[in-house]
Amino acid sequence: MAGQVIKLSEAPQGKQLRIVDIVGGHGLRRRLMALGFHKDDLIERNSDALFGGPVLVKNLSCETSVALGRGVAQKILVEVLDGQA
Amino acid sequence: MARHEGPVIVFIGQPNSGKSTLFNAIAGPKAQTSNFPGTTVSHTHSEVYFNGQVLRIVDLPGTYSLNPADPAEKAALVHLFKETPDLIVNVVDASLLSRSLELTLELLETEQPMLLALNMVDLAEKKGIKIDPEKLEAILGIPVVMTVANRGRGVKELLSCCVEKLKTGSSPRAPSWTEEVERSVDSLANDLPENFCLVANRRFTAIKLIEAGDTFCHEILEEISQPLKKRVEETRHHLESLRHLPAYEVLAAERHHLAMKIFEAVAKVQRGRKISGEEKLDSLLMHPILGYPLLLVIFCLFFFLIFFIGSPLEQLLLRPWTWLQSWVHGLSLSPPFLTLIDGLLQGIGGGIAIVLPYFLPLLFLMAFLEDLGYLARAGFLLDSLMHRIGLHGKSVAPFVLGFGCNVPAVVSTRILESPRDRFLTSLLIPFIPCSARTTVILALIAFFLGPWWAMGFYFFQLLIVALVGRLLTLFIREPSPGLMLEIPSLKWPSPKIIISKVRYQLRSFVQFAWPILIAGSLVLSLLQLAGVDVWINRALTPLVKGILGLPESLGVTLVFGFLRKELSLLMLLQALGVDYAQLPEVLSRTQLVVFTAFISLFIPCLSTVAIIWREISRKAAVFSMLLNLVVATLVASLGRLIL
Repeated sequence: MAGQVIKLSEAPQGKQLRIVDIVGGHGLRRRLMALGFHKDDLIERNSDALFGGPVLVKNLSCETSVALGRGVAQKILVEVLDGQA
Repeated sequence: MARHEGPVIVFIGQPNSGKSTLFNAIAGPKAQTSNFPGTTVSHTHSEVYFNGQVLRIVDLPGTYSLNPADPAEKAALVHLFKETPDLIVNVVDASLLSRSLELTLELLETEQPMLLALNMVDLAEKKGIKIDPEKLEAILGIPVVMTVANRGRGVKELLSCCVEKLKTGSSPRAPSWTEEVERSVDSLANDLPENFCLVANRRFTAIKLIEAGDTFCHEILEEISQPLKKRVEETRHHLESLRHLPAYEVLAAERHHLAMKIFEAVAKVQRGRKISGEEKLDSLLMHPILGYPLLLVIFCLFFFLIFFIGSPLEQLLLRPWTWLQSWVHGLSLSPPFLTLIDGLLQGIGGGIAIVLPYFLPLLFLMAFLEDLGYLARAGFLLDSLMHRIGLHGKSVAPFVLGFGCNVPAVVSTRILESPRDRFLTSLLIPFIPCSARTTVILALIAFFLGPWWAMGFYFFQLLIVALVGRLLTLFIREPSPGLMLEIPSLKWPSPKIIISKVRYQLRSFVQFAWPILIAGSLVLSLLQLAGVDVWINRALTPLVKGILGLPESLGVTLVFGFLRKELSLLMLLQALGVDYAQLPEVLSRTQLVVFTAFISLFIPCLSTVAIIWREISRKAAVFSMLLNLVVATLVASLGRLIL
């Protein structure tokens, strides 16, 4: 698993993840950046809402938690790191 | 605004950093607060006397950056410059320091006198973050004051620091970036024409020109001359070639790295600490499975608590009132005079004895849930449900606010990024039973038919919201942008703030709603005296009697329900000429439910229509009225058939 680049929507819970790229429009990139999510930030996927609901993501470098819709989570590419979050 | 009245101090910061709580701690309860990002959507002014000096304080909507992404953020940016502040107070959530510093660095670029209120230091310490304020002060070059706004800590110190800073008036220096980026920005700044309308300063204006691509500020690019436009394009290309990133991301990355560096220098983060009680509770509330039953339990508890506190209180308060009414009737006054006195008593007494008993506990519980931070969590859990009706979880906040009052709920749709979501949400909000309608539901359905009936009624109303939403999205097909919602830390609410919030809302009830209730009851008495009510009733007979199957005399109460929904409740008694307790003798169970359903759903109250008109459009307001009327008639006649 480690080192592989996947979509955040497919990433495992509770593992340390590194943001590799955000493949969305300008609006989306700007919004995520303003919320404190940048390329190379370490994040963790914490919890999922039922019925294809949003995922709860915590940024480990600035302690912010955000809920991201599945569509948004698909546009964030992450690398799975070895360490537990 | 006249400038001679005193220096202007502007509070600006990221959403949910506690600007409004700080503002209220200084100015008394004026601004709406809650633990949900984006509660303040418009600015609030206040004058404060401190040490013999008048300070004019402005609370701006929260904004993540000075590159706005929604209308509320744009209001913050526009006002920051429109107010021409003498001092900027940047309110920062200390527990999110590294991210918040990015806005701080952006504000420093304006080179205006500024100070930093490091708020929620208690929460930061709980999270294991220890900040050295002196070091932060030295790096940023502006004074730093530690505050805990919701406990009122550090507020006096902040004000004295403001006064001190106003005296010296020294401006900070904009932080500098990597040399190559700096050179590119500087050269554009120098190339701005002499007569160019500058915002703040040359460099800041140049930065905004570079960043203004597809933000809400793109208009400024259309106003500049062709050669300058070309020059801006050149700079953007140069920056893009430096880092292989879009130009604005290059600048954002500069700020981000600077912010991280400052954070590392001033803060010590303690790892592996104990998990706090709030965090344990949070993981339960947000649990992918347990979260849902908990949501249901909280919702039911909310409803039942209001009923079990409200109904005994109502019976207790009604007693002296009924006694007073029968006493007046025993006085053998002349009939016209008696009718007027009756109307007056109905208005005053109804406001206290029937409306307040339910309204008061509702205010307390709403304030508690808001300050705890549960709204954002409900948004997380309900996002997929909201998708079914064509919206996303961020609309949950306006919806939940709608249970209190539809008016601020419509205003709060400003936190939604897309105009389509705003339109749809504002059309659905009037279907949410607000506190006025909850009072009617509790006083008519729960009181006479039992709390379970009322509960069912409530759920049915929510079902209608979902159905109408689903139906509307069939016509408005444009996809909604996905959910991106910050989940703030769970905070145990401070009783002092809850009490002051309730007091504030209670005061506005006494000032605005109660007079309408009294005046409405009086007007009905006058109409009855003049015999006009008969005419109105006759005109409405096809609807009231034909479709809804209600007594003809209720027509006039429906008309007045447009002013305030509780008014219909009080007028119902007056129009039928009975006491509250006698109501089941003249109305059947079906009639009670049909009346409540119709009152609850038919056209939104006057203030809601007005606010939709102002916030969204005239078209939306008219459409909303028609939509509600149709739905109300359908639902009420369906109720009549089934029950």
